[in-house]
Amino acid sequence: MLIALENVTHTYQPDSPFQATAIRNVNLEIRPGEFLALIGHTGSGKSTLAQHINGLLRPTQGRVLLDGQDIHAKGFDRREVRRAVGLVFQYPEHQLFEETVAKDVAFGPKNLGLSDAEIKERVAEALEKVGLDEPGMADKSPFELSGGQMRRAAVAGVLAMRPEILVLDEPAAGLDPQSREDMLQLIAHLYSQGSTVVMISHSMDDVARFATRAVVMEKGTIAMEGAPEEIFRHPEQLEKMGLDVPSVCKLGMLLRQKGLPCPADIFREDQAFDALLSLWKGGKAHGAE
Amino acid sequence: MALSNITLGQYYPADSAVHKLDPRVKIVLLIAVIVAIFLAHNLLSFVPVIVFLALSSRLSRVPLKLMLKGLKPLRFILILTFILNLFFLQGETVLLDLGFAAIKKESLLTAVHYSLRLVLLVLASSLLTLTTAPVTLTDGLERLLSPLRAVHFPAHELAMMMTIALRFIPTLLEEADKIMKAQTARGADFESGNLIARAKAMVPLLVPLFVSAFRRAGDLAMAMEARCYHGGEGRTRLRVLKCERRDYYACAAVALLIACVVLCGKVY
Amino acid sequence: MADAIITLDHVSFAYEEDAPQAVRDVTLSIPWGEFHAILGRNGSGKSTLAKLINGLYTPTSGAVCVCGMDTRDEKNTWEIRRRAGMVFQNPDNQLVATVVREDVAFGLENIGVPTEEMPGRIERALVDVGMMAYAERAPHLLSGGQKQRVAIAGVLAMEPEAIIFDESTAMLDPQGRKEVLSAVKRLNRDKGITVIWITHFMEEAVAADRVHVMHDGQIVMTGTPREVFADADRLRPYRLDAPVTARLCQRLRKEGMPLREGILTAEEMAEEVAKLC
Repeated sequence: MLIALENVTHTYQPDSPFQATAIRNVNLEIRPGEFLALIGHTGSGKSTLAQHINGLLRPTQGRVLLDGQDIHAKGFDRREVRRAVGLVFQYPEHQLFEETVAKDVAFGPKNLGLSDAEIKERVAEALEKVGLDEPGMADKSPFELSGGQMRRAAVAGVLAMRPEILVLDEPAAGLDPQSREDMLQLIAHLYSQGSTVVMISHSMDDVARFATRAVVMEKGTIAMEGAPEEIFRHPEQLEKMGLDVPSVCKLGMLLRQKGLPCPADIFREDQAFDALLSLWKGGKAHGAE
Repeated sequence: MALSNITLGQYYPADSAVHKLDPRVKIVLLIAVIVAIFLAHNLLSFVPVIVFLALSSRLSRVPLKLMLKGLKPLRFILILTFILNLFFLQGETVLLDLGFAAIKKESLLTAVHYSLRLVLLVLASSLLTLTTAPVTLTDGLERLLSPLRAVHFPAHELAMMMTIALRFIPTLLEEADKIMKAQTARGADFESGNLIARAKAMVPLLVPLFVSAFRRAGDLAMAMEARCYHGGEGRTRLRVLKCERRDYYACAAVALLIACVVLCGKVY
Repeated sequence: MADAIITLDHVSFAYEEDAPQAVRDVTLSIPWGEFHAILGRNGSGKSTLAKLINGLYTPTSGAVCVCGMDTRDEKNTWEIRRRAGMVFQNPDNQLVATVVREDVAFGLENIGVPTEEMPGRIERALVDVGMMAYAERAPHLLSGGQKQRVAIAGVLAMEPEAIIFDESTAMLDPQGRKEVLSAVKRLNRDKGITVIWITHFMEEAVAADRVHVMHDGQIVMTGTPREVFADADRLRPYRLDAPVTARLCQRLRKEGMPLREGILTAEEMAEEVAKLC
């Protein structure tokens, strides 16, 4: 299934003194099987864009198409879009409300009108995916869990709807390094199992590690688009937009400034390791030390 | 994001003498004006009130449209009051006979009287809230009530609560918006269904909101203590309220108003 | 310890009587004017430690002294909190007033500063954090980084000698984190304010004079950032990770590359690698 935004513009509170255009003439396709990263300054329109993908927000102009059909057309049942596109907001643990973890995760499936047996199956499946399947966990109150566990429970709540596309708004925000890594590994795992992923992130290192395509937003429009490697080849442009490059990129730049033959394509830690090692070994071979 | 630009209450910022009046004076004078409105026995005695409010409104530089906007939510009550008084009160002089009911002179006068009273009460109160920032109002109330501290009335604590509530309303609204969106993304429906269904649908919104509000309260209390907050004892204030000449003029004007109202009542 | 502004002497703390101890036998000494970072994962006890320092909690055993005053003595409480201010994690849940200027005044009002002195102190504090232009703004219209800077101004106005930052950047975007960290470094450098910076971001601890790593309620490592981060392996069981450059450095050293120990920044790394190639 293909979701596409066609010339989408969204203005908050139009015709009022507070009107603000968050995104303008955005054209974007969410391709099946891709890991799309949405990058941009706070206020660049990323969250607004994300909320159009599942039809939560309605374009002031333009259309959102699901397999070619306008999802905001009269008669279109948007519930299917809500199910097929799972949206995980920032700090999703703030939406937990039920008496037990299992009941909260069941909220989505229940809203879909599934049978009790089906709901039970989905809940167990979702909890297992996020690693909250130890005995007794499902019957605990969500408010008894640790912060990281609460977040995973919230994600399970979205996964229980079996979405094809998973949109995550800064999934690792506020987590400590290990929890961050766990969360990213979970997302990578879901991706490898066939989900299409759209991830809003401020971390260029994460984008370099996981994304197959990146879209950079600036003041409501798409400023750059392409594979992460291509985007990170333009650090000056990114800097002008107030954005960073992956940490190893800086290292590569500095080495090249010093005249060393460091390849321009270093974005990930492994690449940096290999490049530095071969630089050193190459240098040794030429009798530099 | 969408809701973060709400202006709280009706406050209309402007540079006018009315805006600059001491809030304590304004609150007390509003009470006095309300008394004046109730003292008006006949339609003639409303005239000084109308003149007073019209002049104050001009002086305050608040657009008339904004002042009248405050009446909009009351239009049904006003119409109802008018009609009830018109048709269901006793009277002798019949002005118009409609067959099923007769409009009598006394009822008409009474209807106009009550409706006018309501309108003037709302306009007078609007004048206060349009020309006084919520925080200034809270300040004024706190100072006015502070003598009651002697009988253990928590004037300071109440004012603190009001200020904090005002500060957090936009923040909580934003959070409510976000929670609603998150639950809608999971298939929640806040719009359709009967009253009971919609009340139940509010649970996934209200529970997280309350949990979050309690958490904020705990955090805030700790932050306040870290900045040495320990209740109202020994606190100094950044803004000190002082009565200026214009406050005395305002008091004189209202005194004059009351005198006129009483006079008109006696004359007619 | 005459030249320590804050000392903890075998401090332990449990939230309730039979609960496990959140802080266990911590002894720590912070000299005047230094920038100390306390690193640890969520649940390591670092936030609890922060609140023990300024007296929001008192130790179940051991003693905490701030500027020579014991936190267990109630008559010291307000003076301790004035001299050791605290900025918390959630930017929203610290701001109390509807206008920035009034929020900064809050602390001054609490400690009874005379009205005539307030405007000057407020202005200086706002200028120090670069938020003077926003003095009449409502807090909910500010970005996270701006809100935190207003919170810092609110503490600064009280003229503290030390400020404790309890994960003050955890909820901010990279831009906001940079703003706050650079404002804090400036305060430490230019005004000599002792800074206790509690965080789980390794890159932020690089700027400190000294780093303490907490795990399970105890301080398990102490040293300069170079010393602590040199050993990336040793940090791993504490569920912390050294900055990328330090990790690379260690991996390359394992392969035999003779990089010096304790490389932390990309600049240092580039220089060292250039020397070797």
